[in-house]
Amino acid sequence: MTHHVRTIRAAALAAALLSFIPPAFGQTPAAPPAQGAPPPGPSGAIQRRAAPPARILDFKAEPSSIRPGESATLIWATENPNAITIEPDLGRAAPRGSRRVTPAATTTYTLSVTGPNGTETRSVTVTVVGTSPAVAKAAGSAASVKKDIPRTADGKPDLSGVYGYGAGGRGAPPPGASGLPTTPTLKPGAENYKVVRAADDTGQYAGCLPPGIPQTFFVPYYMQIVQAPTHVVIAHEYLNLFRIIPTDGRPHPLDPDPSWMGNPVARWEGDTLVVDSIGFNDKTEISGYRHTEALHVVERFQRIDYGTLQYDVTIEDPNVFAGPWAIRRTFPLLPEYDRIEEFVCENNREYKDLFDKK
Amino acid sequence: MRLKGFVYAACVGMVLMTVPTLAHHSTAMYNMANPVTVTGAVKRFEWTNPHAFIYLDVKNEKGEAVEWEIEMMSLNHLRSYGWMRSTVKAGDTISCTGGAAKSGKPAMLSSLIDLPDGRKIKS
Repeated sequence: MTHHVRTIRAAALAAALLSFIPPAFGQTPAAPPAQGAPPPGPSGAIQRRAAPPARILDFKAEPSSIRPGESATLIWATENPNAITIEPDLGRAAPRGSRRVTPAATTTYTLSVTGPNGTETRSVTVTVVGTSPAVAKAAGSAASVKKDIPRTADGKPDLSGVYGYGAGGRGAPPPGASGLPTTPTLKPGAENYKVVRAADDTGQYAGCLPPGIPQTFFVPYYMQIVQAPTHVVIAHEYLNLFRIIPTDGRPHPLDPDPSWMGNPVARWEGDTLVVDSIGFNDKTEISGYRHTEALHVVERFQRIDYGTLQYDVTIEDPNVFAGPWAIRRTFPLLPEYDRIEEFVCENNREYKDLFDKK
Repeated sequence: MRLKGFVYAACVGMVLMTVPTLAHHSTAMYNMANPVTVTGAVKRFEWTNPHAFIYLDVKNEKGEAVEWEIEMMSLNHLRSYGWMRSTVKAGDTISCTGGAAKSGKPAMLSSLIDLPDGRKIKS
């Protein structure tokens, strides 16, 4: 292979990879094209072929033979997946994991991994001694079965679950349910609340400080909601930030201390959880704007179907904005995860010595 | 080029490289528009947030080892690509493709790593 070909192949691969990275994190502006850069060469199809293939590294059952009533553990490992399922019964799966299964009859489990190269599958059979192989269900796969929105004992929609960062990160957000504008208008005299960054400013997240509300929902990390009868806990993997939110309709405390994540109280409006927050400090940004301690944020959480949490947030700060404005996002339920991970900013960097010195 | 023979400058499709990336910080310090590839031996792998790092001994044109600091995504993204803390280990020979530091310091934000057994994995 010539040097030239290797060069182009490496470039196309890298370009394809980055084009797959979903946008979501902050408002990092797109850099201008490099001086003298040729026009975009490879088509999207070529780039997709250049992305690293999804593959199955391992899929096994331990033990592979059990007696009726006993359990086996399915263990799998994949790389570069876009989507993973294990059928029957398990549905969506994490890239690496293990699950205990207790099949009533001999069952063949099939792991399917989809990536830019198509779908790769591998099967293992758990033999249940003395039984006949289970007949595949005709009703569809576990991943595709339509499920109802679960409800708690008091009849409220159960928002509990791990959610991804999903949709809404790029481009203009859809209009909020409230009909409010989706971008703010600054109050006359408040122009300096618009954030302008220096060339070597690595952005609002670079310091590993809490992004506040709603911005913590806009980072590319999972979050988890745990719903109890009197409280909802919203925990974010990013910085392991959490809010413990009373849902009994109690008012805010008088004059709460300014804080990064604010003081939230909640109530139910039908099937929508409405979280009202004040008591923020003035150290965070929202969509490229600073705010004052007068910030008032109202978030509406609604599980619009089994797999989707809709998030509508209204933002007010009479010192900064001419009026309230709104942002909508939707977050996909990730049933393949049962908890978010630890996140500690132990290896944060300044990066000052990496910028162009010219 | 300073590391000719070891660093392959990229030259096509670069406009597509300028989409906002999903790093924890801005990527303005890295030349994401012109990705390069460096190959060397892993000295250390830091499986940490907010970013994982690999320290790579890369030989320059004089045959001297230069330590490259390879920045990767955060652990949640790496896990979603199939990474584990044991995916690379000290002594492994790997290739990393990404944007090099604009200052010329031997550092990059890597988006793809070629593992010793030929596997390619997003990073």
